[in-house]
Amino acid sequence: MASRIVVHNVDAGYGAVRVLHRLSIEVREGETVALLGTNGNGKSTLIKCIMGIVRPEAGEVLLESDGARIDLTKRSTEEIVGLGIAMVPEGRRLFPKLTVEENLLLGAYRPGARGDITRNLAFCFEAFPVLRARRTQLAGSMSGGEQQMLAVARALMSSPRVLLVDEPSVGLAPILVSRVIAKIKELKDRHHLTVLMAEQNFNQATKIADRAYIIVHGKIEFEGQSMQELRGNELVKKYYMGL
Amino acid sequence: MFSWDLLANAVVAGVLLGGFYAAVSLGVSLTFGLLDVVNIAHPAFVILGSYAAYAMNSSFGLDPILTGMLLTPLFYVLGAAVYQVYYASFERRGEESLRGLVFFFGLLFIIEVSLSLTYGVDYRLVEAPYIGKSIELGGVGVAVRLLVPFAVGLAMTLALHLFLSRTFYGRAIKAVSQDRLALRLMGANPVRIKTIAFGIGIAAASLSGALLVTIAPVVPSTDRDYIGRVFAIAVLGGLGSIGGTLVAAIILGVAESLMATFFGPSWSLAVSFGILLLALAVRPTGLFGR
Ligand SMILES: Nc1ncnc2c1ncn2[C@@H]1O[C@H](COP(=O)(O)OP(=O)(O)O)[C@@H](O)[C@H]1O
Ligand SMILES: [Mg+2]
Repeated sequence: MASRIVVHNVDAGYGAVRVLHRLSIEVREGETVALLGTNGNGKSTLIKCIMGIVRPEAGEVLLESDGARIDLTKRSTEEIVGLGIAMVPEGRRLFPKLTVEENLLLGAYRPGARGDITRNLAFCFEAFPVLRARRTQLAGSMSGGEQQMLAVARALMSSPRVLLVDEPSVGLAPILVSRVIAKIKELKDRHHLTVLMAEQNFNQATKIADRAYIIVHGKIEFEGQSMQELRGNELVKKYYMGL
Repeated sequence: MFSWDLLANAVVAGVLLGGFYAAVSLGVSLTFGLLDVVNIAHPAFVILGSYAAYAMNSSFGLDPILTGMLLTPLFYVLGAAVYQVYYASFERRGEESLRGLVFFFGLLFIIEVSLSLTYGVDYRLVEAPYIGKSIELGGVGVAVRLLVPFAVGLAMTLALHLFLSRTFYGRAIKAVSQDRLALRLMGANPVRIKTIAFGIGIAAASLSGALLVTIAPVVPSTDRDYIGRVFAIAVLGGLGSIGGTLVAAIILGVAESLMATFFGPSWSLAVSFGILLLALAVRPTGLFGR
């Protein structure tokens, strides 16, 4: 099942504040694309546009899947999830007073994922053994790293074709950041996922991305077709990688 | 005039009463405990269920509790419609806290007045073969008209518990007030989830109303006796905990029964608030709150 996300010339914002300006990106089947940018440049806003949480004022957001072109700007967030696009939101947004297991089962709410529950649950517990050990614990009582793992696992429970991850490294100790990022790569390889990951942590993101966009003030300032190209860019080195 | 016989009788009657109180309170545990909707009109829907059972019983001789069960789909639809109005008028605009309370108070008033105008203010009662019978259980006489509602109350509690913990809708209902956006990211529509839950809450209210009229005759204002009780039970049980609701209901039933037996019935109602205040002072999250 080939699926591709195309964002074309999107303008979007909040009320009178425009955040994204004629922004275009593309995430192709099986790719891991990093969306790099420091705080406040519009990474989350772009991901929210794809999920139907923020509505673009202009431009196109498309899911191309098996030859069909689906206009995501006309779909509700629930419908977009139903199409097989899952999001790991900024700040994790778990259900704190539900158990780990209840959070995971809610991840499988969409009808397309209910048949795969046993398989997906087994996979999540294998990928993140701590979740199995804590399955009856309340999500809100876990550490930040465990919560981030749960957030990723909960998204995977929906059997997504496309996974959008918003800043998985925020609030985590460096060693946990490496672990979560490495896990996302492993999951991606095994699930043939298409991944778009927003990050400010350039060094971590470049470990798993095939290519990257750099977003500055709501515009794509630089597009690297490979990570070497990105690392070689003087501007990037200077401003973002601290080299 | 204490006697062990009296004590045993009071405890057994209290436990049975508690099973019925659980039935009356389940809907509040659902709507107030899990949806954050302060439906103070809940007891009015209970009484509406009582009168529906009474009407079918007096006109067609139908069993009141069977009628209550048969009417649950109708009350589910009524509850769903009430939530849609509440959502469109208040919740969507973020005006639910005070104006929403007024809305439900108005609803309570309208239901009570409509019942008074239709049926008057005389006590209404139902007839069924088990009303008035009593059986011997371990040396204690047990009224069957309390035993049947107790059993139905337990069954309702178990059914709701299983629904909430085993089904996709149930888990979504438990999640909806914690993070609406996160629930949408699971593919569930929060308004739809709350509509379903509210419908179930009102359906449970109506069935418990059929139990109520089986236990004792009702007038339209009987609902006022239950406003304090149901919220006390829901809070004491730990908001949203169905098992906790049952335990709290039995505690209250036994406490009221003991008070009525040894100090006189007029003390009974004060007991619910006494227990509520005490419980909140000691454990604000209730017995089984998360
Ligand atoms: N809900 C909102 N209402 C108004 N402005 C917002 C809102 N969310 C974000 N913004 C603004 O939009 C800009 C981009 O934010 P965001 O997309 O969250 O950036 P990033 O994810 O890259 O840190 C920021 O200037 C931020 O203040
Ligand atoms: Mg962000």
